[in-house]
Order: sequence, then C-alpha cells, then structure tokens
Amino acid sequence: MLTMEGGGETPVVLSGRLDATQAAAAQSYLDRLHGVVTLDCSNLQYLSSAGLGVFLKTHKRLLGAGGRLRLTAVSRHLQDIFSYSGFDQILEIEPGR
Amino acid sequence: MSERASFARRIDVLAELFAFTTAAFARQGIPLALLADVDLVLEELFTNIVKYSRGKAPVAIEIAAIPEGVEVTLTEPEADRFDVTEAPRVDVTLPAVQRRPGGLGLHLIQRLVDSVQYGYSEGERCSRIVFRKTSEAPSPGAAGRNEDKRC
Repeated sequence: MLTMEGGGETPVVLSGRLDATQAAAAQSYLDRLHGVVTLDCSNLQYLSSAGLGVFLKTHKRLLGAGGRLRLTAVSRHLQDIFSYSGFDQILEIEPGR
Repeated sequence: MSERASFARRIDVLAELFAFTTAAFARQGIPLALLADVDLVLEELFTNIVKYSRGKAPVAIEIAAIPEGVEVTLTEPEADRFDVTEAPRVDVTLPAVQRRPGGLGLHLIQRLVDSVQYGYSEGERCSRIVFRKTSEAPSPGAAGRNEDKRC
C-alpha cells in the first residue's frame, strides 16, 4: 500500500511501498506536478524497478520543462537501490538520518 | 525447514506474495534485514513472468532458511526458456534522457543476491530459479546455470 500527500508548494510525502501494483497510481499523482518536485521519502519503505520507472519518467518530463525531481530523507536501503540502478547519478538525493 | 506457496499470475497477487515472505521469515527466524531485498527480487521475477510468459499455471515459491540467510526457489510451470542470469546488461551510467526503465529489474537482482541459478526442463517446460541472500556482502555477478533440472 502506498499513500501520497502534498505537492505544489510542499513536498510530496510518500508512505508505504511503491511496487508494481502502486506504480500507475503514483505516476498519475506525479503527472499533475510541475517545476522542482520534492519527494519526502522518510516513510517510503520499499521501492522496486516499477517505482524507479515512475521516478525516471517523472524526472525526464520535468527536465524537459526546466524542472527536476529531488528526493529527500532517503533511507540507507533505498540509497543502495538508487546506487545499484545508477539513479544516484541522475536524481538529486538527500540521505535520511 | 522450508515453506512453499503458489500464486496466480496476476500483479495484484503481490500483496499476498509479500505476506507469505514476511510470515515465512518470521516463522523460520530468517534475518528481517534481508526481507526487503528478497521481496524486491521476487517482485522482479514474478512480474516478469506475469508480463512476458504465456503459461497459466500458478507459480510456486519456496523459502528455506540457510545459515545467516535464506534460499528462495521460484518454479514456473508451462514456461518458455528465459535465463534470467543471461539478461542483457543495463548501462546504469547513461544520463537521464537516454535511460529506459526496461531491464532494470533483472539488473537489480544480480546486484542484490549472493547467487542466482537458472534451470530449465525441456520435457516438463518448467523453469526453476534459485537465489540465495545472506547477511554477508553480496558478490555481484555470482550467477550461473542450475544443472538440477527438477521442477
């Protein structure tokens, strides 16, 4: 289960698991946002390649319009996933505590 | 001790699959620190089957504790041969505009597990993937073909 709250002037807070069953809903949510979009990942417990695909598609769309996707409060486990996939070289990632 | 369950080939079964892994880890005393990686590998393998395989029969997953970790076996009946250990490499150094999400899941598997083996029985048209994950540091690329053809 994944919940997403915020956007626009405030960070988008992701809570739960972003897996293949949640990817379409997450994509739909992020498709509405523009500019520099910040995702608060402090409560994001799980991320698969389906979620990485959502982040990549969103980042590329935002880049095309002068914006970008940035992630904050990223856990050690998720940092590993971003590192293994090379996304740590694509996205602005701020580690969590 | 090991535990086995079968799952219909639908994406919405993932929650049920994760519930099984969580319960099996708890019952067998497998380190919970390994659970997210095991779930991720199983999701990538399972969704790959759902998306690309033509078979209809349920997919079986078996979880067994090993010293410091877990061995997971995924058995797919009515399978076409697709050796996940020989999937094309993904260039993870490309800039965002050149990146495509395809193939990333199988790439992650190679990075997350200690070992992964693939076996295929022509007669039974059955594929069998066995991977191990322990608390020790993974050794990327520890993949191979499983000579044990039993399904």
